[in-house]
Amino acid sequence: MESNEVIASETRHYELVLMVHPDQSEQVPGMIDRCKSFVTTRGGTVHRVEDWGRRQLAYPILKVAKAHYLLFNIECSKSDVRELDRSFKFNDAIIRHLCVLSSGIPEGSSAMMRVVQQEAAKKVETGVSSQEN
Amino acid sequence: MSIRMGGRNGVKKRFRKQTQTALFKRKKVCRFSGKNPEVVDYKNIDLLKDFVSETGKIIPARITGTSAKFQRQVTVAVKRARFLALLSFTDNH
Repeated sequence: MESNEVIASETRHYELVLMVHPDQSEQVPGMIDRCKSFVTTRGGTVHRVEDWGRRQLAYPILKVAKAHYLLFNIECSKSDVRELDRSFKFNDAIIRHLCVLSSGIPEGSSAMMRVVQQEAAKKVETGVSSQEN
Repeated sequence: MSIRMGGRNGVKKRFRKQTQTALFKRKKVCRFSGKNPEVVDYKNIDLLKDFVSETGKIIPARITGTSAKFQRQVTVAVKRARFLALLSFTDNH
């Protein structure tokens, strides 16, 4: 039936946040590529990928105080995102993951990315000033 | 007098007096409605920190002036941020 076909192929916008164990930070680019290809091969689109880098956690998780954060904004079907989410569960490098329905295509960089960039800029400044001294 | 008013009414009058004489006399405006509304986002922890106390607890809407609908969104956002370790659950971790 037509209505069933439409429902099956209906895509929604999702926002995924992944927290990768800091010791596995080298695997992050590979992980990003794998997620992107997973989505695109199933006919979805990746709207935004953000790498917030290693951040200090508010409380220790698995006895580590830092984690590597990744943000994905994707548009795909329900079944695809469920499969992707389940794959995160069985990946030992990913310590936390959150999948949330989002309302549409995101504009620009997220608030957290701006904070990350500001922190990076500050680091560069202090690095330069200490070099000068 | 207090006997006739009944338990609940007496408490209400006392409560209203307390909030009026306390520091929160000025009317606070909801930051998420009206002109230039801010968007509730669990990733925007600078914004969420205004709605969380020093001990990490969520501040009630009657103190921040947030409307009920957005207080519910703030609560969800804070809980998500706590899950992602962007905010802490308590101040003594």
